[in-house]
Amino acid sequence: MSAQQLAVPPPPIDGFWSGTRRSFQTMIRRNGFGLIALVLLALVILGPLYSVVLWAFAERWQYPSLIPQVFGLSFWERTFARADIAEALPFSIVLAATVTLISAVICLPASYAFARMKFRGRQLLLLSFLATNAFPRFGLYISIAVIFFRLNLIGTLPGVILIQLVNTLLLMIWIPTAAFQGVDRSLEEAALDVGASPLRVFVQITLPMVMPALSAALLLTFVNTFYEAQGALVVGLPRIVTMPVLMYSLINSQLIVQYGAIVSLVLWAPSLILLILAQRLLRGGYLTAGFGV
Amino acid sequence: MTAAAPPQSSPSWRKGIIAYLMVAPPLLLMILLIFIPALQSTARTLTIDVNGEPGFSISRYTAFFQDPISVSNLFFTFQVTLITLAAIFILCFPLAIYLRFATGKLAGAVQVLALFPLFVPGIILAYALIRFLGTRGTLDNVLSIVGFTGYRTPYLKPDAIIFGLVWESIPFTVLVLTAGLRQISDSLIESARDVGANSWQIFWRIILPQIARPVLIVFSLNFLGIFGSYTIPYLLGPAAPQMMGVFMQQTFGQYRRPDDAETQAVITFIICAFIGFLYVRTVATQRKREESE
Repeated sequence: MSAQQLAVPPPPIDGFWSGTRRSFQTMIRRNGFGLIALVLLALVILGPLYSVVLWAFAERWQYPSLIPQVFGLSFWERTFARADIAEALPFSIVLAATVTLISAVICLPASYAFARMKFRGRQLLLLSFLATNAFPRFGLYISIAVIFFRLNLIGTLPGVILIQLVNTLLLMIWIPTAAFQGVDRSLEEAALDVGASPLRVFVQITLPMVMPALSAALLLTFVNTFYEAQGALVVGLPRIVTMPVLMYSLINSQLIVQYGAIVSLVLWAPSLILLILAQRLLRGGYLTAGFGV
Repeated sequence: MTAAAPPQSSPSWRKGIIAYLMVAPPLLLMILLIFIPALQSTARTLTIDVNGEPGFSISRYTAFFQDPISVSNLFFTFQVTLITLAAIFILCFPLAIYLRFATGKLAGAVQVLALFPLFVPGIILAYALIRFLGTRGTLDNVLSIVGFTGYRTPYLKPDAIIFGLVWESIPFTVLVLTAGLRQISDSLIESARDVGANSWQIFWRIILPQIARPVLIVFSLNFLGIFGSYTIPYLLGPAAPQMMGVFMQQTFGQYRRPDDAETQAVITFIICAFIGFLYVRTVATQRKREESE
């Protein structure tokens, strides 16, 4: 069967499939579907970012000019001279790093167990982490907040860390589990056969092979946590104010447009790192791993 | 040496315990912060009545459904969710089909743009959309330059919420749908054609079942994401009616009525329970199938 297929070039498919294909090809060629999609997407996706970038470098920008009348950086100084911003930015970075670290410490051993050990209910327990996605998120935050309210955890650092940890579980377990499962066992066995200790095998053979996936999981967790605003808003206020939470008030009291624009640009930096690594993250399937697919 | 044979079960038993200990921390965290809050909130809405008196009662639910504001907010949330979902599918299906068939630089550029929102956090998007869609925003500005002066901003109207939520959902939806369409190989269609299937049968029997799971995942996750959203509806939407996320936060944070917020949260759980179940089941069967392959 397969030899036959190899020998004879496949006959042209007719009917629905090639019909669809052909009609799409003509659509692309004649109607320029791709071109229309490109132009529309460019307008809708990039359009909103246009004025944010320009506002961040504008000294004076009066309607109806399409670009600012005066460019300059004086608002950058004023933005970072604000006590709330100067305080929230380093705090947010430390908080995101802390949550990522705690998440790694509790999730990585678990993902190793899920990938390598046999125990009853393994598959079911692994799937149970999908629950973090299966609730309407904000309803869940309110439900958690009501409990925290009675436990006096509202407005405390442990409260914010806990609610942000929940969001990291699926990603921090599923990506590493898949990576540990994908390790070629024969290499490890060969190393054990020539007398290497299990620890040495893990450090020198297993770890390097799962490292790309682990760093992707760490990076994505850090960035997601850095931008996590809703849980921190419900549980953290009034005493704990992260940078994204501060953004809510900067947007609501937009007397000076530049503040919001500059903070948006600065806040966008971690995403820029993801964007630079996008192709690698996409190929590894990491970008959708947080959704369980 | 011979005596060592029977206690074979002892090390594996111990190994099982170790595995459970390794998966326990994240599991415990999830139970404490997802299952217990959800169950406890649900139980409390039934065992503590609207006046805070203990005893079985559905008075908190009747109070919710007798309050016109609560009902209109719930209805509004439904409305926005369904319209947004429809818009997502109408936009993303053609895009996914295009990306499945097209090759070359144009398709590459379309893909980059379609995935770009993945790298723009919600809070920055909200700010950007205010500057883009608002009165005297970029869109208003451009339209007035080309001579169109009747621009009425969708900002603080439901349309702006829908715009923002669709914007956020494009990358995930396109990624999952395109991946699903890629699963259908030309040779599969060809062999179906060989045994005499017509176009309609091919569409119903081969393409649709193949794409059913991705469609279900996209549908359920987007539904849950929209129903449980906060940032976009809070910053871009009207003051009334509100989406449930905004309503809950106002009840909890502003009016300081945690019990009422809890009832609202549980109502969103109940509405989303089936969708959440659908999501978990779809991902579970997909994984089972992938593992058996």
